[in-house]
Amino acid sequence: MSVAVKEKETILNFLDGDFGTVSNIPTIAGVNEKGAGNISEFPFPKKKDEDWRFTDLRSISRNHFVPVADAGAEPVGDISKHYLPEAKNSRLVFVNGEFNTELSSTEDIPEEVIVGNMAAYGDNEILQKHLGKYTNYDQDQDVFAALNDANFKDGTFIYVPKETKVEAPIHILNIFTDAQKAFYATPRVLFVGEAYSKATIVEEHIALVENEYLNVTVNEFKLFEGAHVHHARIQRDSKKANHISRPLAHLDKYAEYHSYTICLGAKLFRNDPRVVQNDEEVDFTIDGLVLIDGEQIADTHSAIDHRHWHAKSHQLHKVVVNDNAHSIFNGKIFVREDSQKIDSFQENRNLLLSENGTVNTKPQLEIFSDDVLCSHGATIGHLNEDEVFYLHSRGLTKKKARELLVYAFTLESIETMEVESVHKLLLEEVVKYTSRDEEFVAVGKD
Amino acid sequence: MLEIKNLHASVEGEDEQILKGVNLTINKGEIHAIMGPNGSGKSTLAKVVSGHPEYEVTEGEILFEGEDVTELDADERAHLGMFLAFQYPIEVPGITNRTLLRESYNTIARENDREELDPLEFDDYLKERLEVIDMKDEFLERSINTGFSGGEKKKNEVFQMAVLNPKLAFMDETDSGLDIDALKIVSDGINKIAGPENAIVLITHYQRLLNYITPDYVHVMMNGKIVKSAGKELALELEDQGYEQLEKEFSVNGEAQ
Ligand SMILES: Nc1ncnc2c1ncn2[C@@H]1O[C@H](COP(=O)(O)OP(=O)(O)OP(=O)(O)O)[C@@H](O)[C@H]1O
Ligand SMILES: [Mg+2]
Repeated sequence: MSVAVKEKETILNFLDGDFGTVSNIPTIAGVNEKGAGNISEFPFPKKKDEDWRFTDLRSISRNHFVPVADAGAEPVGDISKHYLPEAKNSRLVFVNGEFNTELSSTEDIPEEVIVGNMAAYGDNEILQKHLGKYTNYDQDQDVFAALNDANFKDGTFIYVPKETKVEAPIHILNIFTDAQKAFYATPRVLFVGEAYSKATIVEEHIALVENEYLNVTVNEFKLFEGAHVHHARIQRDSKKANHISRPLAHLDKYAEYHSYTICLGAKLFRNDPRVVQNDEEVDFTIDGLVLIDGEQIADTHSAIDHRHWHAKSHQLHKVVVNDNAHSIFNGKIFVREDSQKIDSFQENRNLLLSENGTVNTKPQLEIFSDDVLCSHGATIGHLNEDEVFYLHSRGLTKKKARELLVYAFTLESIETMEVESVHKLLLEEVVKYTSRDEEFVAVGKD
Repeated sequence: MLEIKNLHASVEGEDEQILKGVNLTINKGEIHAIMGPNGSGKSTLAKVVSGHPEYEVTEGEILFEGEDVTELDADERAHLGMFLAFQYPIEVPGITNRTLLRESYNTIARENDREELDPLEFDDYLKERLEVIDMKDEFLERSINTGFSGGEKKKNEVFQMAVLNPKLAFMDETDSGLDIDALKIVSDGINKIAGPENAIVLITHYQRLLNYITPDYVHVMMNGKIVKSAGKELALELEDQGYEQLEKEFSVNGEAQ
């Protein structure tokens, strides 16, 4: 297979797969065909590409990934400790990208609402009408979105009808198991919220062991007039895994979309959230919290596209880097010519705990209109040694003082979590991160 | 309780001495005041005694209850019962007063084989200690000093002292920036805390504090040394005459330069 694409490096150089096979559901097959065309066309990113300048992709390009079916993946076993009490019966489970009926439970979902796997809704008009209609990653020759397009045969399908509120949070639980070979998986989500509907989504990615895989996700969220979504995304992939994520939200008038992406796992996490303002008066958030150490790379390239009047957007991206980890942030904000009265906030705050960590940050504002309130900023700093001493002088060890300060740094991001158990889980994750056995590599005086 | 002998200190890694041979003995039950012109080394002395890593002791020693603490970390000194109320208490966003105090109190208790307090017991204890300094309990939920007024920050230092109950407290200009009501509250609080088993060192520029808290000794610090020690009348003298007379005296003797 690689012979055919020798002269140009594509993602096909790094994985096996028969992308001629498409889903037997016409709607999905259409997207598969488009994707199959694109993956053999789109060049694999290089350092000289502006959007990939700082991102080391060798954990993909030096590996070889096979389809899950050929990977010798372990069965999933009991994963009930990962269930959320609030979402006991509003949960979809995907194991290595494949839907698992037994572990899923949707009893608490009201009848008129759809929370299910796409393959079961092949005839559904809403699915047919919306699937693949909003992602705009192709315009950038995005090989990863193309891989997802080409490969997914199933995925999450959520439809909330007009003026309907889904009380229970909807838990999309992506589980990755051990396998003999490095594999790739392509989780896909389509969310359609009709006018003045309301839902909370918790999207999780959890590895059961520290194995190698490539997790390529595409999310399409379409919010009609006044629809309201709270979307928590918790990434706890294996620290040997690659997770490339393309979540897009397409917002109509008065829509509110608030998403919070928490990055804890993965060797390489590349997240390109996009929000398209499709009408006036929208309000949205794409916050992020990144806690990385060891050799982890976490890269966020976001794009916010203000195309109409009156938008309020919020992006707080907080990052803690330890050891040799590397964080990259590139936040594009467009304000088009016809778009006035925009209130846009963007801030990237980085806390470096080690001498060898790396942070690259670049806010990128492209504003073509004049009535705009755009505040943006980026900071990179170590822990404040005066603060450490203050706590230390009150009897806390230096280690404890630093732990508390890192904890305090992250709290603001975690407090936004609506679902109580997710909030609690994240607090535990932060404690785990800050209280590793070793001292933080000393920064500043000791 | 505290014995400082011929203490010399400089900023870590630098040659210039800030403390140039401080001698000071403080006994249980005593209140001392240290006065002296700006830049004479008062805060440096307090920070060196508390174990601030910015400074290096180049000569001399600090004994606390007979133990040489010169090389101890700041937390270890706190465990022994030493406390510094900072001249400029810093803001620590994200950590509440309650969190800090519970962590401090229980760490110190643990280190001294005393029983730790669970959250409920600790709450009751905090409520009781709030009264010492007439602070509202909403301050417990606020991030340490964050957005506090100058006076509130100083009160908060005294509150922390009331909770941690140290044997020895250095209070660095805790009176500066307080209005007259706050000054009364703070002095009242300090008087309530002061007792036969502990000792307090007040660093101050103002005699007015000493109207409320009666020191047993007043010391004058100049150019890195304690140049004069006497009873509380010394403070009045200084208020009248300023430091000029002393400065002359000591530069003539070649001591201060
Ligand atoms: N970290 C430091 N780096 C450089 N110089 C310092 C440092 N700390 C203290 N000094 C210097 O040491 C001297 C004594 O400072 P210190 O703060 O102890 O004075 P002070 O007596 O407390 O003065 P004030 O009454 O103004 O509070 C000053 O000249 C000061 O600039
Ligand atoms: Mg001072």
